[in-house]
Amino acid sequence: MMHSVRRAAALLLAACTAAASVGCQRTLPPDQEAHSGNAQQLRTYLMSSSTAAGGAGAAAQPQGTGWATLRGTFTYQGDAPARQPISITKEPEICAPGGGAVLDQVLLVDEQSGGIQNVVVFLRRASRVHDSAQPSTEQVEFDQKNCLFTTHVQTMTVGQPLLLLNSDPTGHNASIDQYSFNQLIPANESLVYAPPSEAPFPISVTCSIHPWMLAYLFPRDNGYVAVTGPDGKFEIANVPAGEELEFQVWHENATGPGNGLVLDTPEAKELGWTSRGRFNLTLEENAQADLELTVPGSAFQRN
Amino acid sequence: MTQPFKSTRNARFLVILLAGLAALSGCGRSEPARYHLNMVEMTDKGISAQYQVEIATILEAMFGTPDEPFVLPETGLDINKLRLASGPAWSDEEGTNHGLYRRHCAHCHGVTGDGAGPTALFLNPYPRDYRQGKFKFKSTERAAQPTAHDLREILRQGIPGTAMPSFRLHPSREIDALVEYVKYLSMRGQMETALANFVMFQLGEGESLSQYANVYVDELLSPIAEGWAGAEDQVIHPDPQLAPPPRNERDPEALAASIAKGRELFYGTKANCLECHGPTALGDGMTTDQDDWSKAVKQFAANHDQVTPVELGALPPRDVRPRNLRLGVFRGGRRPIDIYRRLHAGINGTPMPAVGPATPGATGTVTPDQIWNLVDYVLSLPYDATTQEPALLSNVRERL
Repeated sequence: MMHSVRRAAALLLAACTAAASVGCQRTLPPDQEAHSGNAQQLRTYLMSSSTAAGGAGAAAQPQGTGWATLRGTFTYQGDAPARQPISITKEPEICAPGGGAVLDQVLLVDEQSGGIQNVVVFLRRASRVHDSAQPSTEQVEFDQKNCLFTTHVQTMTVGQPLLLLNSDPTGHNASIDQYSFNQLIPANESLVYAPPSEAPFPISVTCSIHPWMLAYLFPRDNGYVAVTGPDGKFEIANVPAGEELEFQVWHENATGPGNGLVLDTPEAKELGWTSRGRFNLTLEENAQADLELTVPGSAFQRN
Repeated sequence: MTQPFKSTRNARFLVILLAGLAALSGCGRSEPARYHLNMVEMTDKGISAQYQVEIATILEAMFGTPDEPFVLPETGLDINKLRLASGPAWSDEEGTNHGLYRRHCAHCHGVTGDGAGPTALFLNPYPRDYRQGKFKFKSTERAAQPTAHDLREILRQGIPGTAMPSFRLHPSREIDALVEYVKYLSMRGQMETALANFVMFQLGEGESLSQYANVYVDELLSPIAEGWAGAEDQVIHPDPQLAPPPRNERDPEALAASIAKGRELFYGTKANCLECHGPTALGDGMTTDQDDWSKAVKQFAANHDQVTPVELGALPPRDVRPRNLRLGVFRGGRRPIDIYRRLHAGINGTPMPAVGPATPGATGTVTPDQIWNLVDYVLSLPYDATTQEPALLSNVRERL
């Protein structure tokens, strides 16, 4: 009698133990923990230097003289991937006039040449900036027509006013989440907006009334940035010559971190192409470099 | 003869009993609470484990731990308030409550302030994730941080129509400590993003983050802290000349005229409110969009097929519902000034766009007068019978 009560109690306890230990489990994903010793040291450093200006930082790169020009072509390897029709769920008379299919702009490849459009190439850091690449104050026009942004990737320099136009007979709201900007633009009206700071990568512009609308805006501190045209060609003029330059390559559909375009081809390896989609180049004064870059379909999410 | 046998049994029973007790008590006092990295962000930005350790270490140096918070003077935060809000929940002999955040907030908003505490999944809307420094209901311009007053009011009033309760009965000392702690968790989260961005966009191949200790404060933390310190200058103050008098002092005819104008705007193509709030303002116009938090999770899922955001600690994304304006429940407050600010700046982090000027001094989508007309119409909607509406909706029918 006594024993069976004990056994029952023991079983109950065992069950409780099991239940309790299951209940303890948190479903948080594993993540890295701080190195507390290093944190303490760093805190001491930050406390001592937080009023003092400057610090060590990266060593200054040797500077060259003169200027050079970088050109290039991005060519898709294989057959151009098919563009998908967008599902137009609203106002078809405005957004899909004539009733034809509206195709997306995710990955645009020229059927003849295989040129890839809307690849962005930019200089990551400029030790000096030529007059032709200095920030401008000229107004940039960015239009919406038939419920699409007429420019898919818009580059500009910080300080340029951006004229957001709506050429449709219906309202749009231009939403740039990165800058917490989201403004209603009534039919056939416009407004001016000045992006407050440089973006490290192109940032998306959307419209919540027409959820398929998507374009990219890329404000930079200087003009050393280019977007490939329908033929896949780009040109960045007057970059600093005689010193190592690091360029970043981006495409909205690329598989790299932040949509960096990662290339593994022999010509990319020669340029030291990285897993973040960057490459290095030193150009001689007045050089006119021309890069021929073949891009396999595997570099894109859609292939 | 039976004695040794029995004692073995007793011993076995004791062992099980002890194990059971140990397991039960183990639940209560596990490891000290710690902050977790935003693994969706780390994975999305391709931040390797080695950089993650560096980021976690820098954050600990700059912000301490959940039990021992720390702040640099640049943050402008008051460490004494943070100490009252942080740590495990307990009360001292004088009845002062400590560990306020974990007592009142962490079960929904999470120890890290990621809005993903144990109860978060069961709530709709989800609790706010503080780490982006984005807040919806505030008196300031869209891109600006909330003021301390804004956060205090959210704590005092709660958010009607959500699980966020009112803490009005708590002494102001406790509310102030919690407001400070929310700002602290926000800044910490923003700093985490700034560091992840620095690794992703600024670091060269193979470079260590620790080489750049000189930029953590000046280049990364200071702009974040300035955003919070400058919030007071970003408060939206409507022109007092244009503001209507208090409701009980208003001429009924003038009010009716203003409501009629607001209604025209609401259904017209200029303010375009019906696109999302629907032709009857029941909030059923646009039901397939997301707020910024869910959008980020959805985007991650679209870009990564190796791992799901939920496996990395994110809450499943949800569509955002435009407010049903006929309920008379306004999350950000129901005073005319609250509605005015919602319209002027929109709601940050959501698809609700702004109709006031995008930058001070610029021309808005509609004029301040028209915003007041819309305020009057919106505040009249809860008293307006939908059953009588169709006859009046000529301009809606034209559009549909």
